[in-house]
Amino acid sequence: MSINRRHVLGGAAAAAAGVVAPVPHLWRRIADTAWARSGEIKVGILFSLTGTTAIIEESLHKATLLAIEEINAAGGINGLRIVPVQEDPASDPATFAEKARKLVISDRCVSVFGSYTSASRKAVLPVFERQRNLYFYPTLYEGRECSKNVIYTGAVPNQQQDDFVPWLVEKFGKRWYLLGSNYIYPKEENNYCKKLLAELGAEVIAEEYVPLGHSEFSSVVNKFRSERPNVIFSTVVGDSVVALHRQYRAAGLDPDTMPMASLTTSENEVAAMGGDAAAGHFTSAPYFMVWQSPENERFVEAYRRRWGRDKVTHFVSEPAYFQVYLFKQAVQKLSPSDITPENIREAIKGEEMTAPQGRVRIEPENLHTWLWPKIGRCGPDGQFTILKQSDRWIEPDPYKAYPNQRCTATGLKEV
Amino acid sequence: MRHQTVFSFVSVAALGAVLLAVPIVIDDAFLINKWARYCCLAMLAVALSFSWGYAGILNLGQAVSFGVGAYAMAMHLKLKTTPIHTGADGLPDFMVWNNVERLPLFWVPFRSEAFALAAGVLLPVLLASLLGWFMFRGRVTGVYVAIITLATMVVINLLVIDQQAYTGGFNGITDLGYLVVFGHEFDPYALDVYFLAAGGLIAALLLGYLVVHSRAGLVLQAIRDSEDRVRFFGFDVARFKIGAFAFSAAVAGAAGMIYTVVMEFASPTFMDVPFSLAVVIWVAVGGRQSLLGAAIGALLVNGVQGALSETPLFLKSWSLVMGLLFIAVVLFLPQGLAGLIGQLSTRVRRAVAQSDRALATPVARSEA
Amino acid sequence: MIDVAGQLFTGLSIAAILLMVALGLAVIYGVTGVINLAHGEFVMLGAYAAWFAQSFLGLGLIESLPLVFLAVGLLGLAIERSVIRWLYSRPLDTILATWGIGVVFQQLIRLSAGGELRYVATPPSLEHSVVLLGVSISAYRAFVLIVALAAFAATWLLIFRTTLGLQLRAVTQNREVAESFGVNAGRVYASVFAFGAALAGLAGALVAPLKSVAPEMGTTYVVEAFMVVVLGGVQSLFGTVASSALLGELTAFIAYVSNDTIAKALVLLAVVILIRSRPRGLFTKAARA
Repeated sequence: MSINRRHVLGGAAAAAAGVVAPVPHLWRRIADTAWARSGEIKVGILFSLTGTTAIIEESLHKATLLAIEEINAAGGINGLRIVPVQEDPASDPATFAEKARKLVISDRCVSVFGSYTSASRKAVLPVFERQRNLYFYPTLYEGRECSKNVIYTGAVPNQQQDDFVPWLVEKFGKRWYLLGSNYIYPKEENNYCKKLLAELGAEVIAEEYVPLGHSEFSSVVNKFRSERPNVIFSTVVGDSVVALHRQYRAAGLDPDTMPMASLTTSENEVAAMGGDAAAGHFTSAPYFMVWQSPENERFVEAYRRRWGRDKVTHFVSEPAYFQVYLFKQAVQKLSPSDITPENIREAIKGEEMTAPQGRVRIEPENLHTWLWPKIGRCGPDGQFTILKQSDRWIEPDPYKAYPNQRCTATGLKEV
Repeated sequence: MRHQTVFSFVSVAALGAVLLAVPIVIDDAFLINKWARYCCLAMLAVALSFSWGYAGILNLGQAVSFGVGAYAMAMHLKLKTTPIHTGADGLPDFMVWNNVERLPLFWVPFRSEAFALAAGVLLPVLLASLLGWFMFRGRVTGVYVAIITLATMVVINLLVIDQQAYTGGFNGITDLGYLVVFGHEFDPYALDVYFLAAGGLIAALLLGYLVVHSRAGLVLQAIRDSEDRVRFFGFDVARFKIGAFAFSAAVAGAAGMIYTVVMEFASPTFMDVPFSLAVVIWVAVGGRQSLLGAAIGALLVNGVQGALSETPLFLKSWSLVMGLLFIAVVLFLPQGLAGLIGQLSTRVRRAVAQSDRALATPVARSEA
Repeated sequence: MIDVAGQLFTGLSIAAILLMVALGLAVIYGVTGVINLAHGEFVMLGAYAAWFAQSFLGLGLIESLPLVFLAVGLLGLAIERSVIRWLYSRPLDTILATWGIGVVFQQLIRLSAGGELRYVATPPSLEHSVVLLGVSISAYRAFVLIVALAAFAATWLLIFRTTLGLQLRAVTQNREVAESFGVNAGRVYASVFAFGAALAGLAGALVAPLKSVAPEMGTTYVVEAFMVVVLGGVQSLFGTVASSALLGELTAFIAYVSNDTIAKALVLLAVVILIRSRPRGLFTKAARA
């Protein structure tokens, strides 16, 4: 070995030791500096723009941006401009967690709007709870969550099924086939559905789950043909919906006698399956694009003008839109130096507004939203006809299927 | 010791120094957590590089060992959280919601931290040994091994998602308690978790190089180059391959355990096809025949990806840029980054050797 | 009885789709040894080509098939000439290269055509069901089955009855010796890659009316296709057909008796066990290991 090399190695070792030894104690605390400064208020947008769930999440991203742009154009919140920090979590829960940390810790966003799947919400929850930030979640989900750091503006099972299931039993019959994608949302909705059906004296002839992203439904369709259910209660999601409908139609089955009733088929999926595959089937949701109201007409027109004439709005992009306005209403009540995630949460409790679907309200107890469930049947033109609309707004109860648990303002309580 | 061995250990030490220096330069809890995450992924890449680059086993299901380790840790940390349903003592929330009455038998031992820590490494080893025995005793090689490992991973992934009452299903196991070892609590946003991850990576590299430069490592590389020839020499090829496979699984399992602590959850996406293929990509970028190269490849790819996706300009096109980078690496860096470094180091060594010779001659002449 | 026949046909339909996707991969991998992780994206591109032809050129699905075949084939050729041809001596590096190509295509499609699910109409002539042997089957699925078999026949004829096929077989056995006989191996490889890509594109166009078209639709196909090809025996065309049929029927049978999730898991286990018991695949050529 030459002297040169030994010198180099020795030097490197000494440098390494010198660097390692005096590591200072760096425990980071989020300093209590003002969240809103120099006329700006930062919010995070966390919807996937690439990957499998980007199909839907992109529209949520767009709806959120639209609301922010409208609010800024109208003067912002008490003169403060909303600055969106946009991240792409790429449909992956681990990336969701990383981006959430960035938005909350690094970027110091005062709230974040995001998530479509429950898996992604669960992955980011620790960040919002530990760092005491606020997450606005616009998607229909299975309930059973009571976080004080999330505002839930999507429907929970009791808001979707309490009207829908009895109506279907009455109209079509008591033999039900439950089909869902294999994960928690469909399983929980089916859980709730089974309870309702039991009360109505109806029968579940089959309960089946297909892998997420599955698109080969010929076996399932054959089973429909041989079992002849009265109603197919479908909670498959994403492109599985499109495949199921198309293959149902190609097999020549008739939606007048064996309709598919879904909580997840929206204008998005309908556009991709063609009007003839969609026609005759039912969806229950708080929002449909055809809903007649001045707010909705304004929303649809603004969305199309901003993002394209061929775009559709649906029951996840509508909450993504109105939740930004509820955020604005809450922040408006605070003075700039008081704008913190926790104060926004307190301020938003009980806030009401007229959303495109109707009047909505944040329930102070559980931070979920009072909504207006509607039942729609799809027509051959790809749009829904609203057959029944709830005559009052429905209170959200994320633990309705579990009578000995209740989500209260101080957390989950056993009763 | 041979030059190669010295070079390996010195480079690992250099990487260690760099990793240890990171907290001094960076003072942001998010970045610390992010780099801790990348260190875990680099550890996983080291595991794959060992089995692929040194033993010739293309394990497309490497992520399964990672996932099993992650779940082992998650199960333990989940049992540390306060149960919400006091009727059944200590049941995780998702089990209550799935109408499970009693804690399943296979969950019970995870209350013990020692068991969980051991299981996070030994369960993947057990799985790998079984699968390895199944494959290598049957003389399955090459692309067929890749398919079997891939298929096995998909089956396990499907099972985990399907049995949501016992595994949390697609959501995974979330809402975890903190890891406490010898009274020290590991906070995912603090430096101790970063050092845990970085330390794990360095330990994996050191251990890996120890094995690689041992006699067993030599035999493995011979097996990679020509399996039949080694068999004719009388070695039990299957036993060596199973051993290599199991060693990779152990490292991957340990990486998974640390990952759960860093991410605060465990998910079936930790053992799905896109993730497992991504590991192969990191190793390919870094150079599969170098453990350090694989680690750096993983750090670099994830680092660039993270940086790109955070840049507003590339918000929608970062994935496209990554794809183009991969193609460029293949075309212009045939042996990955490690190959590049290898070429550079050869040049440096040659230059140093020349200067050695230049130094040596005057002395000889003066003596004469 | 009716159920059994219906499910049998379902299995054939699943097998036909598997075969269409796997055929191109079998040809590419069998001849050149390239592990083409972008194969799923060729399928996706074929589906988008069909959508494009329908939405912007007003062509129905059946009329657009030749166009799709040509378009994706040419694209495959371009890929081969620009990237793949430098990598024949290092097949393991094709993993990284083709992965990158796949990602690039996915993102280019997403950025240009948008990320929404797209619709490709079923040909009106095939929208109904036909009754065969007392079973009601979808006419379109029957059509896909026929096209798949025709594609297989065409491939077989190409490989075993044409000069190009002869050169292809020679190059597969031993590239250097074939070249010394005057065969332009580079041209053979390029044609093979283009042909494999074109077949995949065709598969994508055929599959599109059964579901929807999205940028990520290709990723599941490449894994399935590789399993089919490897199980069947890497250089055997008949092996590909046999394993497609086997896996298709097995999936359909288990899915009917239980459900699709279990079916997927058990079929994979079957693949594992089959490869273990026949480590060179179901049908192997005696020539090369």
